[in-house]
Amino acid sequence: MKTAWMVLLYLFIFGLSLYFYSTQLNGPTADLHQRLLPVEIKTIKAGMSEDELQKIVEDAKQGGDTLSIAGMQHSQGGQTVYPDGIMIDMKPYNQIIEVNEEKKTVMVQSGATWANIQEAINPYGLSLKVSQSQNIFTIGGSLSVNAHGLDIRNGSLADTVVSMRLMNADGEILQLSPQENTELFYAALGGYGLFGIILDVTLQLTDDELYETDTARMTYSDYPSYFKQHVQKNPDAKMHLARISIAPESFMKDMYAITYKTASDQGQLSAYQELKTENLVAVPKFFLGLSRINEAGKDSFWNAQKTYTKQIDGNLVSRNNVMRSDSEFMEYDNSRKTEILQEYFVPVDQFEDYIPEMKAVLEAHPDFNLLNVTIRYVEQNEKAVLSYAKEDMFSLVLLVNQGTDAESIEKTQQVVREMIDVTLAHNGSYYLPYFGYPTKAQMQAAYPKTEEFFELKDRLDPEHRFMNLFYEEYRP
Amino acid sequence: MNYKRFIYYQGTIGMASSMIFPFYILLIKNVGNSYAQFGWAYGLFALTAALCYPLIGKYADHVGDKTLLAVYSWGMAILLLFFPLASEVWHVYILQVFMGMLGAVQKNSEKTVLARYVTKEIAGTQIGRYHVWTSVATAVAVIATGYLIDFLTIASIFYVASLVFAWSGMLLLKLNMPEPQQ
Repeated sequence: MKTAWMVLLYLFIFGLSLYFYSTQLNGPTADLHQRLLPVEIKTIKAGMSEDELQKIVEDAKQGGDTLSIAGMQHSQGGQTVYPDGIMIDMKPYNQIIEVNEEKKTVMVQSGATWANIQEAINPYGLSLKVSQSQNIFTIGGSLSVNAHGLDIRNGSLADTVVSMRLMNADGEILQLSPQENTELFYAALGGYGLFGIILDVTLQLTDDELYETDTARMTYSDYPSYFKQHVQKNPDAKMHLARISIAPESFMKDMYAITYKTASDQGQLSAYQELKTENLVAVPKFFLGLSRINEAGKDSFWNAQKTYTKQIDGNLVSRNNVMRSDSEFMEYDNSRKTEILQEYFVPVDQFEDYIPEMKAVLEAHPDFNLLNVTIRYVEQNEKAVLSYAKEDMFSLVLLVNQGTDAESIEKTQQVVREMIDVTLAHNGSYYLPYFGYPTKAQMQAAYPKTEEFFELKDRLDPEHRFMNLFYEEYRP
Repeated sequence: MNYKRFIYYQGTIGMASSMIFPFYILLIKNVGNSYAQFGWAYGLFALTAALCYPLIGKYADHVGDKTLLAVYSWGMAILLLFFPLASEVWHVYILQVFMGMLGAVQKNSEKTVLARYVTKEIAGTQIGRYHVWTSVATAVAVIATGYLIDFLTIASIFYVASLVFAWSGMLLLKLNMPEPQQ
């Protein structure tokens, strides 16, 4: 009798639980909150050969489908996705077609990563002229965001492209270079995948070199003159980066700089040429983890960085190895929070006035969890339609930890918009591959050719075969 | 007592609890926020268990092992029905406290039953055999659930495990155990 009651009670609770679960909690929003941009993607097709890619484009044309193009998908503003569209995963399209030792060029398929190229050219003693600071990205992706890196002597990534082939919305394959189809060439570089599929690219290379690491510490106000005197004017200085403190003790004041200068004895190069793999991921990961938690963590992260920088002073390193910066330690797995990037460009001469104003914005928002600011140099370059370097600029890359709920997004948006306003007031601009926090007006202020860019898109791809959320959000 | 039936019972609850434990972590991951919260969830479990053992130990001698096993089986069957509803980390903490209590009941009773019914001279063989069959059941359950979870949601695993616990509660009826001495 007792058991019968027990069974009845159990079945009753079972029914209740099932009812509540199915009515309240099992809604479609349940698994969306982990991402900033929930979208549905119909199918993912790996484009292995040109014919197959052509077929995807033709099928999409016939079926009236939209296409988005994806590499590593590190762009955070929906550049690789479109709701209900077909996303083409370019990663399997990654052959190194030819390394030309004499001409110092490499021809690669666009899904290859910078690491793939480095492995192919390192045995020839060759090196990339410009690449992104981290080598995990695909060539097609980096070209589509018009990326820049640590090199201060070879202009922008676009300058190193000898030629490339692009498949347009009709499935036609076009040859693009600074001499051929130039309009399309400079639209596709920094074109965020809206002008077609970049198939293969020929890049100009240079010789691998041995560098001596030169580090220095300073306050932000001394940095521009340090950069001009010791880096820009020194012909031996080839690559450069700096960091400004995010630690409470020295917030937005202390800086350290790392410059790679041609070593006097190049004979030792061969001893340093082996490509390094990431080591000691646990150490920086630990300190970065600390700095996510609280202010004391940020102090210890900054102190650890300073100590480390001091230690590497005078170290010899090959150019190829400088271009293989670690990124694994930044990998971050959390279901409720995420890490976003922001990048602002400010003219070299404005830097000294700019930093205190940024500091004021950041101090007005103590909850804004800023983890790192890296500073690099970008030479004036206005070839790409969407060009961010109106004059010689410093770029500031900000790493920010934020929640993925609506309220956190709203808060971050407010801070980002304020920071961009400050940047624009100093004749600066901001980088487009990140989450769509900036307003349309801010984009038009930072990129005077915004309208031209979207008009070009509409003219070259009137049916909008290639689409992404970036277009949707920022079309004037 | 029917020793085979006890093994069968322990095998059943071993199956049910191993169905949820490895995958339970996936639920905390969806609900929780950080590794620190993982730590707390499991820490609370162990801490409540520690606090409950002295009490359970005393009760075991008064009310008998069978009653405590019934409390465990039906308690787990009902508790698991609340897991799919957990959406905040404090829900998980509360569930973990109850899991800790029930877990302690099971651990203690398992050992008292063995202690009371094993023949001292061949205790090694008997306990060994007991572990063989309960472990086999556990292994089968874990592997099968791994496949099952691909087809079902994590929530459904909790419902299935709950039904198995309820079944184990029914099995207890057939288990003959001597009443406690007093």
